[in-house]
Amino acid sequence: MRPAFMSSPRRVLHKMALALEQVGVAFGGFQALGAVSLTVQPGRVMGLIGPNGAGKTTCVNVLTGFQRPTEGRVILGERDVSRHSAHALRRLGVARTFQAGRLFTGLDVLDNLAVTGVGLGQSRHHAEVEAIRLLDWMGLTGMQSRSAAGLPYTDERRVAIARALMGKPQFLLLDEPAAGMSEPEAADLAALIRRIAIELGVGVLLIEHNVGLVLSVCAHVVVLDGGRVIEAGDRAAILSSRAVREAYLGADHPEAA
Amino acid sequence: MTEHQARKLASLTTPLLLIALLAVFVLLVGAFGDRSLGRMAAETLIRVTLVVGFWIFVGNSGVVSFGHAAFACVGAYVSAWVTLKPEMKTLLLTGLPDWLAQAEWHVLPAAVAAGAVAAVLALVTGAAILRLSGIAASIATFAFLAMVNTIWANWTPVTGGTSSVVGLARYVSPWVGLGWAAAAIVVAAVYATSASGLALRATREDEVAASASGIDRYRHRLAAYTVSAFFCGVGGALMGHFIGVINPDGFYLSLTFLMLAMLVMGGIGSLSGAVVGVLVVSIAVEGLVRLEKGVTLGATEIALPAGSQEILIGLAMILVLIFRPAGLLAGRDLSLPAAWVAGRAKTTK
Repeated sequence: MRPAFMSSPRRVLHKMALALEQVGVAFGGFQALGAVSLTVQPGRVMGLIGPNGAGKTTCVNVLTGFQRPTEGRVILGERDVSRHSAHALRRLGVARTFQAGRLFTGLDVLDNLAVTGVGLGQSRHHAEVEAIRLLDWMGLTGMQSRSAAGLPYTDERRVAIARALMGKPQFLLLDEPAAGMSEPEAADLAALIRRIAIELGVGVLLIEHNVGLVLSVCAHVVVLDGGRVIEAGDRAAILSSRAVREAYLGADHPEAA
Repeated sequence: MTEHQARKLASLTTPLLLIALLAVFVLLVGAFGDRSLGRMAAETLIRVTLVVGFWIFVGNSGVVSFGHAAFACVGAYVSAWVTLKPEMKTLLLTGLPDWLAQAEWHVLPAAVAAGAVAAVLALVTGAAILRLSGIAASIATFAFLAMVNTIWANWTPVTGGTSSVVGLARYVSPWVGLGWAAAAIVVAAVYATSASGLALRATREDEVAASASGIDRYRHRLAAYTVSAFFCGVGGALMGHFIGVINPDGFYLSLTFLMLAMLVMGGIGSLSGAVVGVLVVSIAVEGLVRLEKGVTLGATEIALPAGSQEILIGLAMILVLIFRPAGLLAGRDLSLPAAWVAGRAKTTK
């Protein structure tokens, strides 16, 4: 047992947070992530931005059990969940979406949600009842019986988010949900993400290339580059950060100087 | 009623339609067929039991198994062990434990025991095999088939080795076959609509998204594998009691190929595909065998050269794979129209 005064103050303050602690991931000789620490708080939206190849998706994969960290720990509340499988973490309340919608195309929209309820241990009937309520909450009631194959792009994203909200997760990790959306569509999405955090109390981690969207929704933003956290802070801190400008525009760029 | 509910309700009619289809087949053969056609009908229904059992795992999980003939093998021998006359067993199968050597069960509990032993074997071996994914799992099922075959061919005191075990009671009529085929169809339909069946189909669609949905792929695969093996075990027992003679090689590569061919022809994606595949292949084989023997049309007798049946079936399979790669039913199920079912449900309420 460690004496109480040595335990991390952050963990004492936020018992049910989802966090990476000094996480590193190496694929062979390639270091995809190095010493990354970040904390997702319940009911808040945190942004994760960075140029292509910065390690954003690897972060999500580590947080959701799809990728084992080679160093460091993943902490959920008080538990070390670094070695949990993806389905076990989902059952503990850590949900995610994918860049490619990855809906079950052989099933209709309602069953796409219901099957997640079933995966979380609900009966088929309970799962359907929750799925109907959730589609209703998201304004997708009319889509219940539609096949998940060939849905329009934005609908596919919304259904994927609805599916990830089955079983009241504590955390939701969105991997580029606005990719390919128009400005009004992205604004709708931003409103939805705020509702998820405020009305459902879910802690959201938003990965996006659309920096405008991230800054408009997120109180706190983490910037990754080359697998490392180069900046973290609120909107103002990110906008005024020299490191961020260098990462996005290149060090030689006149604006970065 | 939403379209989703109507579709679900309509899907309940699928097993009923399939059983009715098989019953019509048995009645037609009984009314117009000769003795050999009656035997063909019984054999077809045994195959429906086997292939529907096979489909419960393969169709829902999307993992091709080469091991299910081994469950039929085990089932056939279990039924032989408990039903053969004790004097026969002391002569042929000297290594059986006393209680088994003395057993003289009725054929029905024997068939259930055959399925149960196959299911337990599936549960134990599947616990290891199904941790693998994709093609590795399929190859492991093939290794399992080869192991069972080798053990059965060499465990002479208990299995009789490569020499056949004879004297099984030949009780399998088309109606007995229909009973078990119907049971397999009902269980397969119930499993497919169950929570586990839905979860397993999700892993077939997208493994990654399924684990992000909290689905434990391994657990649902193991459940389907076990239920699936039960009906293959029963099917094996029925095969033994249909011919009266069993031998480990009767449940090896050619049976594996036949089961796969029927499933692929009908369409791996639906229960109706499994049933229709068996019917189509069995009827086609029967027709071709008759043509090989020769038919008289007026004064001329036409006969196909011997062996053309296998070639033509192979050719038909290639054609189906080229023009309907998802099988004859292409993943669809026979059911009454959803709108009609919904209308009926409203009026009966």
